[in-house]
Amino acid sequence: MKRDPIILIVVAVVISLMLVFGIQKTRHSQPLQGGAGKLQGQPAPDFSLASLDGKTLKLSDFHGKAVLLNFWATWCEPCKIEMPWFIDLQKKYGAQGFQVLGVAMDDASPSDIADFAKKMGVNYPIVIGKEAVGDQYGGLPYLPSTFYIDRDGKVIERVFGLRSRSEIESNIQKAMGSQGQVAQK
Amino acid sequence: MRLGLCALILAGFAAAQDFPPGSRAPSIEYFPPEITTVYRGHAKPVQLQFRIASGFHINSNRPKQEYLKKTELKLDAPTDIAILKVTYPAGEDRSFPFSPDEKLSVYTGDFAVAVSVRPLKTVLPTKYAVHGTLKYQACDNAACYPPKQMPVSFEIKVVKDPNANKRRNPAQSPHAHR
Repeated sequence: MKRDPIILIVVAVVISLMLVFGIQKTRHSQPLQGGAGKLQGQPAPDFSLASLDGKTLKLSDFHGKAVLLNFWATWCEPCKIEMPWFIDLQKKYGAQGFQVLGVAMDDASPSDIADFAKKMGVNYPIVIGKEAVGDQYGGLPYLPSTFYIDRDGKVIERVFGLRSRSEIESNIQKAMGSQGQVAQK
Repeated sequence: MRLGLCALILAGFAAAQDFPPGSRAPSIEYFPPEITTVYRGHAKPVQLQFRIASGFHINSNRPKQEYLKKTELKLDAPTDIAILKVTYPAGEDRSFPFSPDEKLSVYTGDFAVAVSVRPLKTVLPTKYAVHGTLKYQACDNAACYPPKQMPVSFEIKVVKDPNANKRRNPAQSPHAHR
């Protein structure tokens, strides 16, 4: 069988380019996620932060509930897209022991953050984040970053960037149901 | 057959460009201009060129939403070199997959910021460096990155205005005794 050498060269070049870009892609995709991956299955680091209404909230205050811990900022447009979903899901699952907790990783003033949250109609507590808390969660190179914590206080899933509402809801159900699954084992 | 190969090449490149959102850090390159010669006492624009990596955008200098961080150039010029004006390009109105119904005013790809500099008439003719920072906040199609500051600098060469003496000495003007 006669093979055109040009075709062979072109195929070799394409495969090489795909390999080079693939390796680059893998290299670049690892550092951004920080150490957050290590948290999966581990107890969610506790923190104590000031809420928008001046109280101090601890993550451990919600022990026994499934928690969606959402790191966001007012300058983050994708974060804004999720907020109405969180509001709806808080309404839908709140009575079943589910809690959304927002952590504003913002340089805006607390009053601006409160104003923003009010305009968005947020129905869940928001605390003012600190970099140290972000570091506890493996560093937050970008927002939104969301951690799903089960009723035992363990991180069962962490998600970076905007995801679909159905994926969020599925993770909430996983966080709410995981205690039941553990109990059955 | 050859058409098929071309399609394969294009598909290969498309796959290579398809980075999952949030999987790589945004990068902005700054291309310092060549040294610009400016006459003492005269204003001259200097174009500062930037390039945003593909797949990312930054807010323009006039974002449509009040909470978004605008792109802003802050310059610290030497004494006697006045920065008269910083002119930003108009943003491109674009919607993104995370909010298809909303238009954002953004910069993507290459953009230039024009800086109008004017050395004072009394400044010593020599080279001067202007330093500053570009403040920006980048996002991709699904995530946003914290606001950043990028160092920026450019040089100008201040020279004497060859017509300055002529203007200063009206006696040399042929119209002086009209």
